[in-house]
Amino acid sequence: MALEAYASRNADTVHADVLSEARQACYKARDAFYACLEKESNKTPTEIASVGLLYPSDCKGSRADFVKHCRASWVKHFDRQYCRNQRVQRLLDDKDSRRGPLTLPQPYTFKPPS
Amino acid sequence: MNDSFTTKHSKTMPVSRFIFFSSKRRSTDAFNLLKRCHPSRRVQTCNYSKSSGYSNGKTRIHPVIPVETRAPRSWGAYVIPAAILGFAGLAAFVHYNDERRAILKGQGSKSGGNTVRGPTIGGPFTLIDTKNQIVTEQDFHGKWVLLYFGYTSSPDVGPEQVRIIAKAVDILESKYHNEILPVFVTIDPQRDTAAQLRAYLREFDSRILGLTGPVSAIRQMAQEYRIFFKKIEEEGDDYLVESSHNMYLLNPKLEVARCFGVEYNAEELSEAITKELRSTPS
Repeated sequence: MALEAYASRNADTVHADVLSEARQACYKARDAFYACLEKESNKTPTEIASVGLLYPSDCKGSRADFVKHCRASWVKHFDRQYCRNQRVQRLLDDKDSRRGPLTLPQPYTFKPPS
Repeated sequence: MNDSFTTKHSKTMPVSRFIFFSSKRRSTDAFNLLKRCHPSRRVQTCNYSKSSGYSNGKTRIHPVIPVETRAPRSWGAYVIPAAILGFAGLAAFVHYNDERRAILKGQGSKSGGNTVRGPTIGGPFTLIDTKNQIVTEQDFHGKWVLLYFGYTSSPDVGPEQVRIIAKAVDILESKYHNEILPVFVTIDPQRDTAAQLRAYLREFDSRILGLTGPVSAIRQMAQEYRIFFKKIEEEGDDYLVESSHNMYLLNPKLEVARCFGVEYNAEELSEAITKELRSTPS
């Protein structure tokens, strides 16, 4: 039956890079890289990360670390998530700096012309 | 002049007849009458205009105008009763339908109304567990099951959900004294073999039952349980699987009692599960 064939075929390959330890290492590298990005956010991004994310060349080391510890698809996933969060943050921040509190016109009492 | 009178007469006669009938019959009668009148009117005017066409033009123009002005009025006189009838018919139909569907007070459906109202989710399946033994849905009979469809290569959501499941099972056992069987079915059977699942789930909780199998079996089960999954960002062997992260709570009769999304944390999950367990008397 198909089930037994399946069971016997792919017996013992265990991808260790998704188990807990590897995951933790990946998260750590990812956080380090994004912290570097935050820290150097005033420098112009010159290097291409992936899925449209750019980063300054100072963070090259942590980027290499990140890519080494995590799978490529995970790297892309995290980058995309980071971009999304950045965009949301930018939206929230911009709104504050561009327009101050709206001043509504003061309510006035209508004086009938008499 | 005489002809114009007769045409007017022929208009009013059917109209009065129609109003007399309107209380009993449908508007189809009116339309029949209408249809009958139209050709006769056309015939009348045709004949009339043809016959008087050879005489002076004045007499020809004169009767045409009264007919035209009369036409909209009689047509309108037919439409309004027809509309009223149609509306009355529709109201009667809706009322009849309501009476037929009415559930008398105190006799509501026996399921209480908050169980699965949509399509029946769930069905038979045959998969392999982490010990390479065949598991079917009959093995879940008589137990409460928390079913999660995920894959081991998930970057963040998957491990988080499994962690929540493990913690919720712990809370359920320690605080609420409820037994529930957590099941993790992989939607990535190509990479998640039994050994892989065993290694993965061992780190979370040894009670979680991992299920895998050939792609066709997984796809069939996913279809029965209405789970969407799709490979994205594929680069050879490295891909992510996009899926609807839903946890299903199955009651001992293998019906889906509830569905939990990613917004539940462990405490909320255990509370909700306990509520379900207590509310169903089985």
